[in-house]
Amino acid sequence: MPFASGHFRTSYRADLSLVETRTGWGFLTILMIGLVAFPFFASPFLLDLASQVYLSLIGALALMLLTGFAGQISLGHAGFIAVGAYVTAILFKELNAPIWVTLPASGLVGAVLGVIFGLPSLRLKGVYLALSTLAMHFIVTYMGAEYETRRGFATGIVIKPPSIGPFYIRDPLVWYFLLFFAAFVALLFSVNLVRSRSGRAWVAIRDREVVAEAIGVKVPFYKLSAFVTGAVMTSISGCLFAYYRGFVSVEAYSLFLTIQYVAMIIIGGLGTILGAVLGTIFVVLLPYAIDGVGRALEVPDRLTTYMFAIQYASFGLVMIIFLVVEPGGLVAIWNRIRNYFILWPFRRRTLRG
Amino acid sequence: MQIIVNTVVLASLYSLIGCGFVLIYRASRVVNLAQGELMAMGGYFLFTVAMGLFKDPVPSFFVASIFSMALGFMIYLFLMRFMAGESVFAAILATIALGILLRGLITLIWTSQLWHPLEKMGITNGSHTLIKDAVISTFGIVTVLSAFLIYVALFLCLKFTRWGLRMQAVGENPLLASRRGIKLHNYYALSWGVAAFTGGFAGMIQSCDSILEPGMVAIGLKTFPVVLVGGLDSLIGVIPGAFIVAIAEVIAINYISPQASEAAPFIVLLAMLLIRPWGLFGTKEELERV
Amino acid sequence: MLRKGLFAMVLSVVIMPMFFTPAFAAPEPYLVGASISVTGPGSEPLAPIKDALDIYFKEVNAKGGINGHPVKLLIEDSMNEPSRAATQARQLVTQNKVSLLILGGLSSLYAPVVQIAEQYNVPLLFLGVCPPEVYPPKADANQFCSTAFGIKFDSSFAVPFIHEQSKGSSLKLALEAMNVPLSRNEIDWAEQLAKGMGIEVVDKEVTPPPTADFTPFATKMKSSGATWAYSYGPWGMEVRTFEALRKLGWKGKYLAYGHIQAEDELKRLKDDDFYVYGTNAFFADNTQAHQRIKAMSEKEKTVYPYTQLTDGWIGATVIEEILKKVSWPATPDKVRESMNQLKVDTQGLKGGPIVWTKTNHYRTTGYYRAYKWDSKKNGIVIAKDWTAIEVK
Repeated sequence: MPFASGHFRTSYRADLSLVETRTGWGFLTILMIGLVAFPFFASPFLLDLASQVYLSLIGALALMLLTGFAGQISLGHAGFIAVGAYVTAILFKELNAPIWVTLPASGLVGAVLGVIFGLPSLRLKGVYLALSTLAMHFIVTYMGAEYETRRGFATGIVIKPPSIGPFYIRDPLVWYFLLFFAAFVALLFSVNLVRSRSGRAWVAIRDREVVAEAIGVKVPFYKLSAFVTGAVMTSISGCLFAYYRGFVSVEAYSLFLTIQYVAMIIIGGLGTILGAVLGTIFVVLLPYAIDGVGRALEVPDRLTTYMFAIQYASFGLVMIIFLVVEPGGLVAIWNRIRNYFILWPFRRRTLRG
Repeated sequence: MQIIVNTVVLASLYSLIGCGFVLIYRASRVVNLAQGELMAMGGYFLFTVAMGLFKDPVPSFFVASIFSMALGFMIYLFLMRFMAGESVFAAILATIALGILLRGLITLIWTSQLWHPLEKMGITNGSHTLIKDAVISTFGIVTVLSAFLIYVALFLCLKFTRWGLRMQAVGENPLLASRRGIKLHNYYALSWGVAAFTGGFAGMIQSCDSILEPGMVAIGLKTFPVVLVGGLDSLIGVIPGAFIVAIAEVIAINYISPQASEAAPFIVLLAMLLIRPWGLFGTKEELERV
Repeated sequence: MLRKGLFAMVLSVVIMPMFFTPAFAAPEPYLVGASISVTGPGSEPLAPIKDALDIYFKEVNAKGGINGHPVKLLIEDSMNEPSRAATQARQLVTQNKVSLLILGGLSSLYAPVVQIAEQYNVPLLFLGVCPPEVYPPKADANQFCSTAFGIKFDSSFAVPFIHEQSKGSSLKLALEAMNVPLSRNEIDWAEQLAKGMGIEVVDKEVTPPPTADFTPFATKMKSSGATWAYSYGPWGMEVRTFEALRKLGWKGKYLAYGHIQAEDELKRLKDDDFYVYGTNAFFADNTQAHQRIKAMSEKEKTVYPYTQLTDGWIGATVIEEILKKVSWPATPDKVRESMNQLKVDTQGLKGGPIVWTKTNHYRTTGYYRAYKWDSKKNGIVIAKDWTAIEVK
């Protein structure tokens, strides 16, 4: 969507391009340079945070495609991450498989799981679908726990850093670029998918399923494809997550993880790719921001025990505030700010969206 | 025989938690994922009241119940009221966020220590022998009895009192009900208040029978299979649902493995969703035919 | 519109400070970093550690600090999340440049934080459960543990204790663990030990972590005909199974590992056949150290009651002793050097001193004591006094 007024598309090529105006290219280049230069100036702590943001972004994009675009409510997201991580762990521990085997394997198993999770969506909608995905999440985590118990990996499974050829991926700087690249690929993929036939079919299913069926969209196929796409992306992110943390254990894949991802897409703004990006940044950084506020306020020692509980509660509070005050999410806020500047000095109430 | 007694007590506990859930869904079609947290709050209210105000069990329970009900009303007033027109997903998420907030507040106010309200009230949870040396605890009996009484009371209220009939009307056809002059918000708030009360009461009993700790909220999660099996909007359905899930759990513990008992309710849930999604007694909602 | 705009601005103002909070600049104090599960699931035995560390070092700093420098504790709440603990550990080590890292969390947090410690070569002190890498013959260079809950050594006291207590009556032992690694491994080992001593083990229960009701497990234990039950795991599991057994009318004897709540709980339960054992002395001993803890806790109005502060207090004593031998300026290497030669007098809080060597980062000798309630004396009595178990 072009920012500039006075910009007209004069060819089909221009219509299809992702970035249109010169200012658009300008901003993009500046952003890219900034992101590439960032790790050389940032502390390891900020580097870690940024890497976490990229990693979570892949999963958030997947969930946004599934729930935001295709309209299939899924509360089993942590199950996909767990599957990717466990496949990696199992292959690593049992067969000592390298990353170029575990990564596609995670994706493959994720796809199978996506089909399984997606089957109820052919019959159920709304609340029922949500609860079925919730049930499957618990079953997946139970199976993971059983594996850990049976094979004796009590404290969880430790994974060595992956290697491509003789080159070990261990340095935080290397991880930053790897995850940046992965997130970028995922982002590009999602943006294009949304503009494609599949994306349009999904939106049609989300908005008016009966009509979609009537105009010839193969509803079951597209519903399953939404689940499978989301599942594959998420389980690949699960595999990367396992390598990044170097550790797989069932406690990390709780319902709270799913809730964090759902919060990302809701706070970001349901139904937009930009929403997934903004939401991820917000949710990953929020706890640390609250920590920062706590530290900046110089709270006396005794009270810090209470501060922690406040931080714990504030995540829920922030979510509630967003849901009540701004259901459109961060994207809606961004649009408002952007429109204000575009229309300036004319102050006109914009239409929604 | 002991296994049967255990199952009955467990099923009663689930039905107490589940009926609040059904009430809210029936009135406003909102799925309340914070029912476990409401239950825990009830237990904590009881603890605070027993510690500070009254030492005897009966007034403590009574006052704590009032607090729980007030909590339900406040939740509606400050949160769920705004969710009235929003999508299903947003409403579900609002209750999830509410759950997180409540859990944080519990840790803030009461810390994560393990508490025993019974200690403060000075009574003990004795055991009584029933038939053939199957034993039940005092609070086990309280669970079963109160589940029974509350159900009867709810049933009678819904069927025969003006409030109950209006709440049913609001659930079935909100538009028509509001045209008729029934204030929707009041009845939604009422459903939340009653749900918080029944859930809180279950929490109070559980905290006396067992222990009071923040981890209690996990029981609420197991309630979804219960209400789904029975039918999301069927009060009567909660009871068979509770029994089925309780039996599945107990069988899992005794004959499969203890870990399976965590997954068993959800396997039952899945099975139900695939066979008969609207549950045993729920109203048929429109579904897809593939 | 205005309301929402204001809201957006407030939000951005709130987030900004995070990036501009100054890194901790003053190099003057000894810097110790800690990631403790103050909130989150399973945090009840760990949160009081923070209180104990706070009040202990407040006093130390008031008296002039160590070697003339104050001690600055940077405590973060890991909320029992592995990712968060790892990120905080990394921040503490790289940004705040702490010389000693502390972890107070459950076992799921260990591997990621150990990675950080290894990567930056900073010694890591565990104030939660002790990991397997601190025991001889070859303790990991950077991992140390001062608390109790030591695998295999605990049951090496417990099982013979039960055997001893049951002399003269039939012994049918039921075991209980929670399905978390340390608990399960320990009970497996206890079972081996018991069978090796010729004890009949009639039942072994493994409960899933989030259990609401322990009655089914208690039912199975009771119906197995056990006369003694030994439970090793989180306190909630231990005490609730016991209460469930009593509710079912079971009259046998129960031994549980004593966590921080053990003393208060013995007073609450008032059951003559409920035994707890552990490495920390109860406040009933009323030693000088106990009195100090009680006084400080009341003066500073800690969030958690003084009876739960012992482990944290001992940890704080250990940290003080470590830092005493670290000459200024402090570096992680000097701290590790000091830790490898540590000898801490626990002043009656434990049965004996904590001694670390290069290959033993747990202690050279563990001391255990068993307590129970005695209704005739209406108080807590010692069922078996300090017994030394060599740690090899």
